[in-house]
Amino acid sequence: MQRRTRLVLAPLAASTLLGIALTACAPGATTNDSAADIEASTELTTDEITLTLMSTPESGAATEATIAAFEAEHPNIAIEYSQTNYDDYNQSVNLNLSGDQSPDIVLLNAVANTVKNKLVLPLDDYAGLYGWDDFFPANQLNQWRVAEDGSTLGDGGALVAAPAGFSLVGVYYNKALAAQLGITAPTSLAELEASLEKASSAGALPVQLGNAEGHAAFIVQLLGQGEAGADDANAWAFGHEGETFDTAANRTAAETLAAWQKAGYLGDATTANGTDLQGAVDNFIAGKGLFLVDGIWDAGKIGDGLGESAGFLPFPGANVTGIGTSVAYAISAQSEHPNEAAAFLDFLRSSEASEQQFAQGFMPNDPTVAVAEEGTLQGDIVASWAKVAEADGLVAFNNNATATMNDTLKAGTQQLIAGQLSVDDFLASIQDDWAKAHAG
Amino acid sequence: MTTSLSRTRGESAHIAGSPRRPRRGWSALLYILPAFVFYGTFIVAPWVQSIWLSFWNWDGIGAATWAGVENYVKVVTDERLLTALRNGLGFIVFYTVFPVILGLIIAAVIAARPRRGSGLVRTILFLPQILPLVAVGVIWRYLYAADGPINQGLTAIGLGDVARAWLGDFTWAYPAVGVIGTWVTTGLCMMLLLAGIQKIDPSLYEAARLDRCGPIRQFWHVTVPGVRAEIVVAATVTLISALASFDIVYVTTGGGPGYQTIVPGVLIYKLVFTSNEVGLACALATVLSAIILVFVALIGRAGRRNA
Repeated sequence: MQRRTRLVLAPLAASTLLGIALTACAPGATTNDSAADIEASTELTTDEITLTLMSTPESGAATEATIAAFEAEHPNIAIEYSQTNYDDYNQSVNLNLSGDQSPDIVLLNAVANTVKNKLVLPLDDYAGLYGWDDFFPANQLNQWRVAEDGSTLGDGGALVAAPAGFSLVGVYYNKALAAQLGITAPTSLAELEASLEKASSAGALPVQLGNAEGHAAFIVQLLGQGEAGADDANAWAFGHEGETFDTAANRTAAETLAAWQKAGYLGDATTANGTDLQGAVDNFIAGKGLFLVDGIWDAGKIGDGLGESAGFLPFPGANVTGIGTSVAYAISAQSEHPNEAAAFLDFLRSSEASEQQFAQGFMPNDPTVAVAEEGTLQGDIVASWAKVAEADGLVAFNNNATATMNDTLKAGTQQLIAGQLSVDDFLASIQDDWAKAHAG
Repeated sequence: MTTSLSRTRGESAHIAGSPRRPRRGWSALLYILPAFVFYGTFIVAPWVQSIWLSFWNWDGIGAATWAGVENYVKVVTDERLLTALRNGLGFIVFYTVFPVILGLIIAAVIAARPRRGSGLVRTILFLPQILPLVAVGVIWRYLYAADGPINQGLTAIGLGDVARAWLGDFTWAYPAVGVIGTWVTTGLCMMLLLAGIQKIDPSLYEAARLDRCGPIRQFWHVTVPGVRAEIVVAATVTLISALASFDIVYVTTGGGPGYQTIVPGVLIYKLVFTSNEVGLACALATVLSAIILVFVALIGRAGRRNA
């Protein structure tokens, strides 16, 4: 027996030594940041250069066409475009930025680890040179302003990315079904609740909800910020010190969601929790549900499916608000041509780029190109976007408040509508997650 | 070990190298060197590295800070991590216990009366093994959907009240995911056990029949003891896939609803790629591999003792 043990232990010890030898002592890499040494300027090089840009198929849909327009204007600058799907992109973006072959321009979906580790360049000098601050409403840029701590967003922080186009979450409704039930588009929360009641008593499903991925979180956020206003809501989503999710407005929002569930407005809780967003969109197109709370990224599919019956509204509340973020691009701290990369970011608000964004279903940086026929779904979306922009009511996704918040909201809303979690515990679980990331 | 090595190198090696004691020299080590280098580089080094990382707070990119045993304290106190470990252990029932029992019964039936169709049955049952688990997950998600085939079937036979979105149900999501595991691993167990049964000396069955043993007694007294070694192998392999399960859960429920189906594999993935807590993820992975080693040792020991 003893001999046997020794035979096992010897290779094990040898392997362990080998493993340690192959392992660096303290984990973590240091990166060089050549871009920081180059002074910001709008003067571009006349040399032939190539920039590389990384994006995802959804967010980059308009970018390839925009690149062609940019290259036509700057014949000596070529931009090489590459894309990977959303999940893979998010897992690899930081490794790409910290590696030896860093791309010059990257799509930024979240600031978290990227900004904390200074992998992208602060863009404030360029914002000043190009006048971005005057061009964009404050809440449209604030989502990409990051304070020194690397996690608090909003006014006063360093700008780390420039928007290419915007998304918006609001309420889709089935105009044909509404007409049949004698319901007109609600403009206040009271009217919305009256419509839900009316639809329910007529035997129609009031709200189509697919919560397998936690999209009931949109309803909670929209109810809460409609009551509290965009600035309060953004303060929490941006991680400002001393904020809490346990506000009167959010409590009412969570209670309202639970009450809607009890009243049967959301259908069966198990079905909602077992249906993903695309399943809910399919159901909504099939006529199941008067309302659907979703982003404009599904507008193409819903417009094709429901035709003239498809309508869109900003979520009704005391304040006009919407949830939205921008497709935004940042410059690698390792880029050797930050000035030329910044010129491309500035080009994103040109009318050519804006038209491409609008054609792909995003709200464009230049709002004058967003023209759509009144009464169509696209027309409704443009009108909603204008209302939200006018009220400066754009709020960042609560789901992005911390790296794990999407998962926490998903689990929390699933438990809330299934009656597995009280409103108190729901609010506490969200705030716990927030406090872990934003304590300091 | 040193003595035997020096002896083979010495002059007397030819005499001392008796057939009872195979000689071992440096030349022998040379043969295993290529395999050892690969194993060391791709298996052992990453494994040791992940153990090393488990003692650090590291976000995967920036500089790390020493954490000591802090991550391990979190693993054994964090409720979410414990839920995941409990769920992983529970999957042993679905991945190991059910498949071994089912596989044994099916193998015994096929072996007892080989018919024309039994080759086809064997192939169909083994098929889930060769499908990528992600594809398996996608298929089952469709089957379990609110308006999917399973619910349509239930409604058709008048059980519409039972129909539900199985993966969204707080009570049923866990067993529903478990059944997928049973479906996948039963074929493997059956094949292993069938091979074992075919190795059993037919004269044992003949003797049992002469002693008036019916098919069930033959199963208990001849088949089961005869395939003990194969049962140990099947249990070991499936137990590892139960505790290390990831693909099926990730694709079907992502751990939901709530945290009902969260397993260590999914949590480790999320800790690394979502919350960037690489150290904590490595600590959980280390605890998980320790648990797996203990279970594998226990099964091996149980198999030897009863042999």
